[in-house]
Amino acid sequence: MRVILESKVRAKPNLPIEAEAIIPRNFLKGTDLLVYEGNKERTLSELFWIFVEGTAVAPENIEVVLKGDTSRIKRVGEYMDTGSIIIEGDIGMHCGNFMSGGTIEIRGNADSWLGREMRGGTILCRGNASHYCATGYRGEKKGMQGGKVEVSGNTGDFCAEYLAGGTVHIHGSTGDFPGVEMRGGELIIEGDATRPCGNMKNGSCVILGTVHDMLPTFEKTGQQVLPEWKITADVYKGDVANRGKGTLMVACRSLSRQTP
Amino acid sequence: MTEIRVKNACVIDPIRGINGEIMDIAIRDGRIVESVSDRAEVIDAGRCLTLPGGIDSHTHVSGTKVNFGRYMSPEDMRAGRTKRKGKMHVTSGYYVPTTFGNSYRYSAMGYTTLLEGAMAPLEARHTHEEFTATPHQDMLANTLFDGNWAVMDAVREKDVRKTAAVVAWTLKAARGYGIKLTNPGGTEAWGWGEDLTGIQEMVPHFAVTPAEIITTMMRANELLGLPHSVHLHCNNLGKPGNYQTTLDTFDIVPDLNPDRQTLYATHVQFHAYGGGTWKNICSRAEDITRSINSKSQIVIDMGQIMFGRTMTMTADGPMEFNLHCLHNNKWSNHDVELETGSGIIPVTYSKKSAVNCIMWAIGLELALLTKNPWQCLLETDNPNGAPFVKYPEIIGLLMSKRYRDEECATLHAETEKRTSLCALERELDWHDIAVMTRAGQAKALGIVSQGKGHLGIGAEADIAIYPIRTDSVDPAREYRKVVEGFQKTRYTIKRGRVVSRDGEIIVDGANATFWVDAKVPEDLMMENDPEFIKRFEQFYTVRMSNYPVQDVYLPRGRRIETEAFT
Repeated sequence: MRVILESKVRAKPNLPIEAEAIIPRNFLKGTDLLVYEGNKERTLSELFWIFVEGTAVAPENIEVVLKGDTSRIKRVGEYMDTGSIIIEGDIGMHCGNFMSGGTIEIRGNADSWLGREMRGGTILCRGNASHYCATGYRGEKKGMQGGKVEVSGNTGDFCAEYLAGGTVHIHGSTGDFPGVEMRGGELIIEGDATRPCGNMKNGSCVILGTVHDMLPTFEKTGQQVLPEWKITADVYKGDVANRGKGTLMVACRSLSRQTP
Repeated sequence: MTEIRVKNACVIDPIRGINGEIMDIAIRDGRIVESVSDRAEVIDAGRCLTLPGGIDSHTHVSGTKVNFGRYMSPEDMRAGRTKRKGKMHVTSGYYVPTTFGNSYRYSAMGYTTLLEGAMAPLEARHTHEEFTATPHQDMLANTLFDGNWAVMDAVREKDVRKTAAVVAWTLKAARGYGIKLTNPGGTEAWGWGEDLTGIQEMVPHFAVTPAEIITTMMRANELLGLPHSVHLHCNNLGKPGNYQTTLDTFDIVPDLNPDRQTLYATHVQFHAYGGGTWKNICSRAEDITRSINSKSQIVIDMGQIMFGRTMTMTADGPMEFNLHCLHNNKWSNHDVELETGSGIIPVTYSKKSAVNCIMWAIGLELALLTKNPWQCLLETDNPNGAPFVKYPEIIGLLMSKRYRDEECATLHAETEKRTSLCALERELDWHDIAVMTRAGQAKALGIVSQGKGHLGIGAEADIAIYPIRTDSVDPAREYRKVVEGFQKTRYTIKRGRVVSRDGEIIVDGANATFWVDAKVPEDLMMENDPEFIKRFEQFYTVRMSNYPVQDVYLPRGRRIETEAFT
């Protein structure tokens, strides 16, 4: 079954919509769902043109497609456990919060907090993702714990903060502090990064591009050939300032400033 | 004129010696009176347990330190969320909730008076602002003097009168209630990067010892005739083997006041550790309680810990640094110029940790081994040992050996070997609990004469009616009913108004803040003392004229005046 939600033109297009109801499982019983626009409760049909194609008996066969201006729609796919969501344009903040299964594909850009505290499933973002991509909640000690987040473009600051499990793969560059406070999992950055992995406790991070402002609290332990990326990388342990046992691998000769 | 008659109440009022009598209570204009007219609103208590409003004699609910705990733990605000409903504001947070969260939850448990455990005088305004937003409880603020430079100077000169004068001026300036000493001398030493390990050690740069500070302050306290005694958080908190420091401190306490204790030692659980390292820590509750049982001049509170996540916050900066090194988690440290300091870290007490299990057992041992319930009060040093919402569980544990045994069975095996909790048969009764949660506090804080902690004629009509029938519930077996009963009152009456019914707040609060205006002889007034003024202007970053809290911060302040000594 395919559910197509095409956003209607709104009087106040900047007003955020809180749409945690948009997950495939909820469409099994129809499209009669409630969301908030600002502080007003709305039915889905007040905000979207709804088209349903085919039927489904199980939620894993449901595909939800979001079209039109969806850049101010927040919390799409929150607690999603199965099925798939395709977003043809941009998506608002907190897409895929706590997701535990299924697939979300974003063909445009994603706003901040993409895949926050994710447990499983896959998020593909074809454009850029903003700050705090694949992280945790402020103050909480575990961020994303499983699944996969793949971003074709760049991300903002604090990408994969408190990452505790799963894989985060950024094809472009990240902003400041990617992988900070990492507890586990794997972070791959194909582009550049600034001050990566501060206070890292565990897990591994591979950076293929240039690292700016490498933190001095990482201890170089040697070099390693990474055949899957066709590079030789310098291997660092850290963050030693705080008893960290993480692994940071940086492609050789890509440090813009060497550690002392 | 508003009148209420509470009928069919099963009253336990230890201060008046009433234990389980079925009686009516008449209330007019916020006070308990002999009788009311027929037009009075009638509340049928249905023979349920009716106690004076609960009093927490040591909690951290307001002020800079608590608020910094909120800053530090945004994740806590995901818990305990409630929506706006009727008169209730939205609340959030579990171990450091919003002020309204604190107030509503205390009220639902029947608490009507709270003592904020530690207020730095310099930051008193913040505390008072949060008091006004904690509307359902009358508030009192213990004022920190542990590292006060003027006090330490006076102590070095062995001048009790001067010490008393500084205390009086500062209490009035901060609108404080009593003297709090937190790790006396140690917090100041921490400002210089050092810590003290015993009460006979010198505070760097001040040439005084904690023992001198404590004894001089006790004498100054009684000279001023303050309602509360010195409220002490002993040195060496949370260090294995610290029980000796605690015993040494208890040994220097004279008996100076016939009406109440001379020393209130707070959260003693944290001060009753034997052993020498975290590996061999054990309980020394027996030694501590032996000392308390022989000294009527000391009152303690438990400082019980309960398992789960919480936040530790104290003016004891060096201790929090040690804990931070142990947990390697987020930490805050703060220095209050010329006065005190503070530290905050989050902590999770776990049943898998032998140390935590032993701490849990020590708190209960203290309560069960102290013969006189008036000398050991029930609290958790909220939120340090556990959030106050755990009080009902502690009551259940103290009233039921079976509950304790069931809990012990789930704990680390070392608990049984290194504490004597499992061997203790004592089960407290309803009267003991009434003493340990309100009457004892009222007496220890010296607010019985303000109409707190009892239901006598003229007392403030602060009443908690719990859905517990003491004649049909056997607390030893049906401890679940006890715990549930104490979690939610049927009615909480605050100053003659029903504020909470079945856990739901139904009116806007209008609390009062009690503060002490201690009078001193003319020649000892600090505002006229050129030396005090000179040092104040020299060292503080604020002018002396800007320092005192203005009355606008206490919209419902209640001044308690003491008589000047000669």
